[in-house]
Amino acid sequence: MSRVVLFGLDGATYTVMDDLVRRGVMPCFGAFRERSAWGTLMSVVPPLTPPAWTTMVTGRSPGHHGITNFLQFESEASKYVRVVTSREVCCETIWSIVGRQGKRAGCLNFVAHNPPPKIDGYVIPGWIPWRWVKKHSHPANLIDGLKETLSGFDVKELAVDFNEEQKAIAGAELADYEPWIDLHIRRERQWFAILEHQLQRDPAELVGIVLDGVDKLQHLLWGYLDPAMEPASPDESFLRIRERCWDYFREVDGFLEKLLKLVSDEDYIVIASDHGFCGTNELLYINNWLEAQGYLTWSDKAEVVPDDSAEIGEAHPYHLTEFDLDKTRAYAISASNNGIYIPVRGGRHEVGLEPEQYESFRAELIDRLLNHCVDPSTGEKLVTRIWTKEEAFSGPKMQLAPDLTLELRDKGFFSVLRGQGVLRRRPMTAGIHHPEGILLMNGPGVASGTSLPTMQMVDVAPTMLYAMGLAIPEDLEGRVVTEVFDPAYVSAHPAVTGAKTVRPAHLPPEETNDLADDPESEEQVMMRLKALGYID
Amino acid sequence: MATRDRNALREEVLKILTDLREDWEYSDEITEQTGIFKDLEFESIDAVAMGSAIEEHFNQSLPFAEFLTKANERQAEDITVGEVLDFLLENLKPAQEAKS
Repeated sequence: MSRVVLFGLDGATYTVMDDLVRRGVMPCFGAFRERSAWGTLMSVVPPLTPPAWTTMVTGRSPGHHGITNFLQFESEASKYVRVVTSREVCCETIWSIVGRQGKRAGCLNFVAHNPPPKIDGYVIPGWIPWRWVKKHSHPANLIDGLKETLSGFDVKELAVDFNEEQKAIAGAELADYEPWIDLHIRRERQWFAILEHQLQRDPAELVGIVLDGVDKLQHLLWGYLDPAMEPASPDESFLRIRERCWDYFREVDGFLEKLLKLVSDEDYIVIASDHGFCGTNELLYINNWLEAQGYLTWSDKAEVVPDDSAEIGEAHPYHLTEFDLDKTRAYAISASNNGIYIPVRGGRHEVGLEPEQYESFRAELIDRLLNHCVDPSTGEKLVTRIWTKEEAFSGPKMQLAPDLTLELRDKGFFSVLRGQGVLRRRPMTAGIHHPEGILLMNGPGVASGTSLPTMQMVDVAPTMLYAMGLAIPEDLEGRVVTEVFDPAYVSAHPAVTGAKTVRPAHLPPEETNDLADDPESEEQVMMRLKALGYID
Repeated sequence: MATRDRNALREEVLKILTDLREDWEYSDEITEQTGIFKDLEFESIDAVAMGSAIEEHFNQSLPFAEFLTKANERQAEDITVGEVLDFLLENLKPAQEAKS
């Protein structure tokens, strides 16, 4: 049976990757693309790392798997915000799905994988501080084993340094750029060394790794990477920093070259990103706009940020205290999800709209945002699209999501901080998430050189299961992208639909995903409701 | 309703924290008086990771975000291991109930 290696490049976009191929920085990626089936992989709404990667590895949408952002409310009734972990993931992952079909899996540096799921295989989660890497890896002796056998292994270099990572969004001094790029090169070397080690010593049929420096570099250094922004006469400083950025991508290209030597012709390589990238030049202070419209009142805790700050407020997980909720009908607490919440009395909020006012108020707010949130100097509309939570997060975990999710005219993240106005130019162009990511696949039966139709994030898991010859659980939401493969291969290898996914062990037993679809469970529910006197 | 024994709970939480020390230049004894920020030099994200490790250990979801937010709101200079135990004693379901 074929093995699948998912080579994840967080935030990778053809805009940059194709340019780096043209310039000879990533020859291996270029050659890989030529013999692959490749296309655009659409991210989820909003195009954000935790919900997107979780969708990729569960085959379920955020309203089902329950990861909507980096930070989200602790529960549907809580007004407190927490960093997402594996304990908030409400759907089975592909690592577990292959395990139930007798195959081993390994996953490295995926977000929302701590504490580690106890799969048949190995897990080192991403996005955790170094002190907790050993405790949150699986199996328990994995990190000790790496220390013994992997030369140069350093858990402090491997883990995210959250203070350093903030620079990706908050900006950094010019003098910090090169050491910051170096830090990411060293970190990726650590992760790739583990991948090499595990591929050689701990065989697994499905292996995934995420290299997240691509995202970080593009956030901070977009002006050096977007070919459209190349100055006509670049100065020495520009050329030096761009060269260092290219060194990072040369390193990634070298990893791909090594990986291709570690796998056989019978194996599949999938290169995928969770979202793409583009540039943003402005900063919309959404809570200031809501205040100006009379929808929001700041509390006395909310300090005004300096006008030259590039910080947008993602680093503050406790922002609800910034608002006087007695006088607030809409607020935003997290920059990265571009989400607006509408407090409704009961549940999470002691104060707010009456439930019967919700629909009409939401319609009014959508209209105001789409038609009256404008650039004061040109009158151009700043909000280009709005999704309601029913549209973006349909599913049992919808109540964790914001009521409205906004797309801005330049795809930027808004700021949730208390600015000095509604809109201002950023000091320099920043990189920001774009919904169009990448997917390239190569392996047995793949239609090499094929340009694929646009794929959805939920399609990745079923396509990888198909490539492995495994049954695809019937409740996965996506499809096998059959266009990846030669028609003759697809005819000879019909996709097999299997039983539904299983409920993750950490979820309380009383919440089940599929009560309505399970006659026995439905009968039990009916009996319980009768016992409670709710039905006759 | 049966309650958790504080001494037993302390041993379990201390084991989670002391398991971390191998990679980490902290050799002092960890007690109920130990501050997770000042003594253990946690950053806020370490406190979040501690919360998820404790949830995993007891296989229960706990309102750690509320606990940490309230400590932040009252401008507490630190959170001691003893305060974490108080929080757990208040919020953990008894072991048998947690499994059902």
